[in-house]
Amino acid sequence: MADATVSVPLDVYRYQPAVDHEPRYQRYTLDLAPHTPVLTALLKVRAELDPTLALRYSCRSAICGSCAMQINAKSRLACETPVGPEVASHGRIVVEPMRNQGVVRDLVVDQTPFWRQYARIEPHLKLDPAQPMPADRPNPMTPEEVERFHDTPRCIACAACFSACPAVEADPAFPGPMALAKLYRFVVDPRDHGRQDRLVRIQTEGLWLCLRCHLCTDSCPKNVRPSERIRDLKEMAIRVQGPTERGSRHAVGFKENIRTGGTLHELKLVRQTFGLAGTAGQVGQGLRIWRKKPEIVKRPRPIEGREELESIYAALDEEDGAR
Amino acid sequence: MKLAYYPGCVAQESGRELDLATRWVCRALDIELVEFPSFSCCGSGFVDEANEVLNVAINVRNLAIAERAGLDLLTICSTCQGMLTLANRRYSDPNVRARVDRALAPLGIAYRGTVQVKHLLRVLVEDVGIPELRAKVRRPLAGVRVGAFYGCHLLRPSDETGGEPGEEPKSFEALLEALGADPVYYRGRVMCCGFPIQFVQPEAASRIAGTQIAAAKDHGADAMATPCPLCHISLDAYQNRAERAVGRSLDMPVFHLPQVVGLALGATASELGLSRHLVSTDPVLAKLAPGARA
Ligand code: SF4
Ligand code: SF4
Ligand code: FES
Repeated sequence: MADATVSVPLDVYRYQPAVDHEPRYQRYTLDLAPHTPVLTALLKVRAELDPTLALRYSCRSAICGSCAMQINAKSRLACETPVGPEVASHGRIVVEPMRNQGVVRDLVVDQTPFWRQYARIEPHLKLDPAQPMPADRPNPMTPEEVERFHDTPRCIACAACFSACPAVEADPAFPGPMALAKLYRFVVDPRDHGRQDRLVRIQTEGLWLCLRCHLCTDSCPKNVRPSERIRDLKEMAIRVQGPTERGSRHAVGFKENIRTGGTLHELKLVRQTFGLAGTAGQVGQGLRIWRKKPEIVKRPRPIEGREELESIYAALDEEDGAR
Repeated sequence: MKLAYYPGCVAQESGRELDLATRWVCRALDIELVEFPSFSCCGSGFVDEANEVLNVAINVRNLAIAERAGLDLLTICSTCQGMLTLANRRYSDPNVRARVDRALAPLGIAYRGTVQVKHLLRVLVEDVGIPELRAKVRRPLAGVRVGAFYGCHLLRPSDETGGEPGEEPKSFEALLEALGADPVYYRGRVMCCGFPIQFVQPEAASRIAGTQIAAAKDHGADAMATPCPLCHISLDAYQNRAERAVGRSLDMPVFHLPQVVGLALGATASELGLSRHLVSTDPVLAKLAPGARA
């Protein structure tokens, strides 16, 4: 039984930096079954309409990770994104190269920034020299140990998350979601000897720039959930080193801020995060806001039942080791 | 309709105009707000970073307060919405639940997991409904081009929020249309406002905010509107920094969600606390039928 086809208008980003003045969008219209993957549509364009279209792909089965691109502004694998729903909600399909990586040609990007960040987290096991991996027998893990990886080992390095990440866009020093999810994977690996060192280092190497916007998690084809693993790294980093960076001071300061009154004391938080000297640098902005919103300097009214909160903190905040 | 009102910290302090506007709109739509002075802060994502289980516990305490009263919870902040929803989900994990219960049981707090956490946006679109809202409009926002700005935690992770697709929501634009405004579609509407790192790396945070405001402006927006008071801080109170970071002037009025609703339903500027904004909303008010500026 043949599927009814839909008319699929594809607006494809075309750009050859050495030749073209600026990028343009080229319209190709195809009749396709709704379940056809965007990649198949693009390959059809190349085979039948325009052999000059450049794109990267290999497995066509969501395994190799080479076909990530922006599809109607979402960073996705083209080989597992069907055309039907895209046309239904947008009336067309805008296909663009991934973000945060320079364009080589059309849909092909230069992945150097992505791989450089990956290399920086040293994505390999660091064994304890005193206890080398046994050569003569397997080195088994318990099911509980395996569970702690979550889905991080499933990463196919497609860089969809890197493309979607606003922290990468705003600050090239940010390692990006995939590198941090990979770092997590080594940090919880019971065979890895570098845990402590890795957690201490990452605090100053971008961990606290993550905005927890969850765009990476929504983009990831393999449920790696980088934003959630980054959260885990943050808590682990605080537990091994304490709040040494502005980001961790802010998180811990916030937690302490509401411990006693139950509600946020905005001015106090600025002090907790920036320290006295740093707070001075915020005074100008504070005054600007204060003129319109004088409450920023007021101490908020404590909640009813704040001793309950104190007791919850006492029970859970000192608890450790579980993670 | 009767809901447990969870205003969150900002709406009770520097973002009081949001509380004001929420109360005005709920009165106009017969939504009864039940208040609980025992609600604590949701942790704003920061407590979650420092201690995940503690964050679940303080929010389960909040949820249990609403459950005892037999009410669902109304939030007016994308981050509160996200954190309370997260607590509902994480609490269903037996390991987390056991640890949380150990802390709550001595206080006589038990939670059965029955409370739905609903953001005002969802209540307006789903419970009040677009036709009903449309019927109540007394001052259509005709000719005003508004860029919705959702706030991350309302949308994502989309398999956890139980709402709209995390990168392609539609409800806010549908609401704006019902109010007579022209919604503006731009990439930034589902992006981050930069707030979470406003204290960590102000420069990068401001660049992120500036990028989204500039995108709205370049798509012709006269104003932006957000269901999140933290986004509002980034987009309005820190807009001067955003301008510096992206090297251009933006002059973008930013409304809280209930303020745009209130304007269309006939509230005055002072009833909505518009004078408390850092960036003046006057250019928008000037486009509307008389009476708005009172
Ligand atoms: S959650 Fe963090 S890592 Fe993921 S996309 Fe947002 S800023 Fe990037
Ligand atoms: S984490 Fe997910 S989105 Fe990112 S590179 Fe790995 S598979 Fe791709
Ligand atoms: S072609 Fe291999 S993942 Fe899409």
